[in-house]
Amino acid sequence: MPADSANNSTSERAICAENVSLGYGDRTILKDVSFCVEQGQIVTVLGGSGSGKSTLMKGLIGLLKPTKGRVRLYGKDIFETGAEAWLEWARRRIGVLFQSGALIGSLTLGENIALPIREFSNVPKEILPEIVRLKLEMVRLGGYESYYPAELSGGMKKRAGLARAIALDPKTLFCDEPTEGLDPVISAEMDNLLMELNRVLGITMVVVTHDLPSIKAISDWSIMVDGEARGIIATGPPNELENSSDSRVYDFFHRIARPVNSERR
Amino acid sequence: MGRGFPFETGKSSEGELLISFTTPLTYETAAEIWQSVSTLASRKENASLVLDLSAVSKVDSAGAALLRSIQGLCERKGVRLRTQSIQPPIKHFLEFLEREKPKKDKPSPPSGSMLERFGAFLIEQAAEFRDFARFCGSVFAVMAGSIRHPAKFRWAESFYYLQLAGSNAMTILFLIMFLLGVVMTFQAAIQLRQFGANIYVADLVSLALARELAPVFTAMLLAGRSGSAFAAEIGTMKVGEELDALSVMGFNLPEFITLPKVLALMIAAPLLTMWANFAGLVGGIAVSSVSLDLTPYSFMYEVYTTIEFSDIAGGLLKTEVFAILIALVGCFRGFQTSMGADSVGRQTTAAVVSGLFLIIFADAILTVIYYFLGW
Repeated sequence: MPADSANNSTSERAICAENVSLGYGDRTILKDVSFCVEQGQIVTVLGGSGSGKSTLMKGLIGLLKPTKGRVRLYGKDIFETGAEAWLEWARRRIGVLFQSGALIGSLTLGENIALPIREFSNVPKEILPEIVRLKLEMVRLGGYESYYPAELSGGMKKRAGLARAIALDPKTLFCDEPTEGLDPVISAEMDNLLMELNRVLGITMVVVTHDLPSIKAISDWSIMVDGEARGIIATGPPNELENSSDSRVYDFFHRIARPVNSERR
Repeated sequence: MGRGFPFETGKSSEGELLISFTTPLTYETAAEIWQSVSTLASRKENASLVLDLSAVSKVDSAGAALLRSIQGLCERKGVRLRTQSIQPPIKHFLEFLEREKPKKDKPSPPSGSMLERFGAFLIEQAAEFRDFARFCGSVFAVMAGSIRHPAKFRWAESFYYLQLAGSNAMTILFLIMFLLGVVMTFQAAIQLRQFGANIYVADLVSLALARELAPVFTAMLLAGRSGSAFAAEIGTMKVGEELDALSVMGFNLPEFITLPKVLALMIAAPLLTMWANFAGLVGGIAVSSVSLDLTPYSFMYEVYTTIEFSDIAGGLLKTEVFAILIALVGCFRGFQTSMGADSVGRQTTAAVVSGLFLIIFADAILTVIYYFLGW
């Protein structure tokens, strides 16, 4: 969604960043970033290494407080209320897939997925194992309930992390580099999985990635951030961005190496 | 029927119990529905159930799991079950969940009888002891090589660990041993005062410190501070594949990782033991001066006449053995770490437990040897 319409009718939109600046200490990573994500969309956040993609995601999920501006989830400013109230409100609305899966190593996959369900819902103990089985089957890990994360491959860990992220049926899912380090076949499988979850469950998704095939496969809309510009340099469907006149965007999509200290066209 | 109850019951045209859901089947409603439906399904008169989903506008994962659980319950109870009037989006969602057939979970290990488990435990311990012996052998082999070529040894690394394990532990060791000296002196004084033998408090405290307590307490402190730190450091390196990287670059891991730590503890332990002796004596002198009418001079003179070189040397030899064992077992446990943060925690704990056991075990053996040697 273009940045200029970010301030209009934000309540029905899943996410809206309004003039958000993010940084660590005195160091500003992103400055005056504005965009909105419509419900049911898959939006990819693109950019090179160190461009601020993951920082932006941290700002959107409430892990990093903006130094300026505000982030709205379903119309609600996530930093307006106290932390406790926000967590209570958010836990059923957002799920996060971390880069490494971030599974708890001392728990089995079943226990990892059961953890948020047991903690934040009142489902009876007879139904809980069935939900865990369903979630694992959704990510094609049916039968792996008793396995520990250390016994799984990288791709399986990511899928298990996804199962935990969607354990409570969130309305919005944030994914940090879901295909990073996976082979092309597993990457494509992960893409299909995200698209199916979006299509069948209607989950809105914000996917931080720089995996080109993945961007082209899953994105309804893309937002490209740049480290030097400290903000968004392009937004739009990936097939439009691919032919952008901005050399930074064009080079990214066509994997063109830029010589050191080169002039931009 | 109460307001907002999640379903209504009736009879179908074929006389079956008809359960018509009136609310979405979600995380919020699953518990109440399960409780009621499971009660109904357990009644003998309800031989067949019909679930009517015509008024259900939403089913989430908990709702889908609820339907599966009801199905499983009916199968177990021998109740016939069918569902009717499922709205297309919900049918689509349930079909999406059903597309992956569950595979068999990994087989759980056979539990066996108590005797079998005890046997398995012994075999496991024997294998662990064998691995530890091999590890020690590899470290001693590289140690011999380093003695031949001392210039190649990583002295800077050793001094770094010497500071961590040695000088950084001095304050806490002084405090522990000072208080131990105080306690020992009080305990001894209660007994010896009855015989007017106050002066022998100094003999008892100094001998106990030099021969036994200072080496053992120093070693225990090293096991808790340094052995665990070595295990955690090496374990974290293993989880981060740093050890694999060093191996493929051609580094000898026992030489590169273990030897500087062993040497650091070998230097730190006897120095700390002397420090512990000093701290214990200070505690003893403090109590003797205040409560037992012994001057510091008379206390120290008694110590001087009682303690022999072999008492000090025997204690230092013990502490040297303990230091080597603590460093080796700490590093060994670190190398035993498998993938995952929890494994680092387990091995760190194991390093402390094994270290304490080895300290007491070695102490017992050395004490017996000293007895026969007349030390």
